[in-house]
Amino acid sequence: MSLLRAEYRKISRRKIFPVMTLLLVAFVGLAAFFLIVFGEIAPEVAEGLPVLEKPFVYEVGAQQAATQFWFPLVLAVVLLGGDLSTTVWATSLTRESRKGRQIGSRFGVYAVATLLAFLIAFAFWVVLALIFAPGEGFMEGDALVGVVWKSAVIAVAWTAIGTGAVSLLRSVGPAIGVGLAIYFAEGFLALWGPWENVSITAASTALFEIDFGGGFSGLIPGMGLPLWHRLAILAAWTLLGLALTWWGLQRRDA
Amino acid sequence: MPVLRNVATMSTGSSAIRVRGLHKRYGRTHALRGLDFEVPRGQLTGFLGPNGAGKTTTFRALLGLTRPNEGEIEMLGLPVPASLPEIVKKVGVIVEEPGLIKSLNGRLNLAVAADTLGFGHDRIEGLLDFVGLSADAHRKAGDYSKGMRQRLALAAAMLGDPELLILDEPLDGLDPAGQHAFRARLRDLAAEGRSVVVSSHDLADIEALADHVVVIDQGRLVVEGPLETMLGAGNTRVRLADGADAVGVLAAAGFEVSRDEMGLIVMSAEGAEIIRALAGAGIYPDEVRPERSTLESVFLGLTGTTMR
Repeated sequence: MSLLRAEYRKISRRKIFPVMTLLLVAFVGLAAFFLIVFGEIAPEVAEGLPVLEKPFVYEVGAQQAATQFWFPLVLAVVLLGGDLSTTVWATSLTRESRKGRQIGSRFGVYAVATLLAFLIAFAFWVVLALIFAPGEGFMEGDALVGVVWKSAVIAVAWTAIGTGAVSLLRSVGPAIGVGLAIYFAEGFLALWGPWENVSITAASTALFEIDFGGGFSGLIPGMGLPLWHRLAILAAWTLLGLALTWWGLQRRDA
Repeated sequence: MPVLRNVATMSTGSSAIRVRGLHKRYGRTHALRGLDFEVPRGQLTGFLGPNGAGKTTTFRALLGLTRPNEGEIEMLGLPVPASLPEIVKKVGVIVEEPGLIKSLNGRLNLAVAADTLGFGHDRIEGLLDFVGLSADAHRKAGDYSKGMRQRLALAAAMLGDPELLILDEPLDGLDPAGQHAFRARLRDLAAEGRSVVVSSHDLADIEALADHVVVIDQGRLVVEGPLETMLGAGNTRVRLADGADAVGVLAAAGFEVSRDEMGLIVMSAEGAEIIRALAGAGIYPDEVRPERSTLESVFLGLTGTTMR
């Protein structure tokens, strides 16, 4: 508990979390502008864009928020990277009995923070959809539960990639670079059939099973994979990220 | 194959730290080359060396933060790295960045450090008082001066009530007032019987602080011992009108002699023998007195170089 309390205190008092959450909300808001608001205020220009009606528009919003993979990557890299060179963290790592808990508490708090940010961004989308989207109705209870667990699974997997990158590279700048490179490269590779079967981007994006038609129809990778396959891919990437984190922190000579 | 051995057979003796034959290579760079030294218990030890001498690498090896290629380390009578989990509970450390969080106040920084290290919060107020930060404990660490941040880091290092403190360049960058305050705290800790090791590349820092000195250069031990012994190690100052003949006379008598603008320095404490040798050659000096060295001159004499 004390480790979780320490991590909570750190993240709650630092500017990085609210600043990054604002950026996430801005990105999701921009997507909402093009997919919801634009069609309402300039329908002649928005011709060709899909029309998202309630309650489907909310599910799209959940996907838009939870697929901002850069968020957990950067958050984990910056927060863990900031700790790596410090005396308190370094000496605490020498206590093998606490190493698992040290890593676990950080990983858990970063993942929960990411989930919270995803849900805040989703809430912002919901507000815009309530005002601007056509149609009636809201998501069912089980759909809302689905938004939470799917967002959580994505947050966990991408947080693990972030912690793995910074633990291996021991430096925030290069780790952000590598993390974002994985983010973009994986996104492209996900469109390639053989890689789609193991792609974290495909598994994450398709988790919401959203194909909102228009010019984007059929472009979402991973939609053909069964749910268990998507979850297995995300679990495998999570384990890979955590294994790299553990191994990276064992290599004290880096 | 790594040959660092767990030295279960080392004597527990009176040493807070014992290091034997420590080697550390980073690729082609040989940072430590068979380093040997001991740090006595209950004293304030200065760990001196020029930049790049291997001080931080040594500290990192002591704490298990880097793995030596070869050598034996014992801290508080226990072998490193086998007993590190037990050792680090008894050791307070400032190495590299202390890890203070600028957006948290001083008190919360200590609370976070205590939670992270697995210590209770019961010592926090006492430590804030000890380092003179009680009145500023509500202020953000980002608003602290460098000296205040170092004192807060010292308080964090003290959270576990350690027997041994290892502080890497804690006085670096502090203004004179900050240095004075920090030195006073370190002396207090040594007076309580704790072993304190302070590294520095500044000889004057250590000369003003330490009971015992370990000097390293290029990854090797240069000299170690009590500061007073080292500084009064037995040079004799000889002042006389013309030193040219005296140098030859003293050298012929077996003394090692150097000249400076004030006369001669004879590397011996045997004043009577020096006078006898000179008088035997008909040379009568104006003054012969023990010369208390500075660490700078000791280092220069031993290495032929100055601290960089």
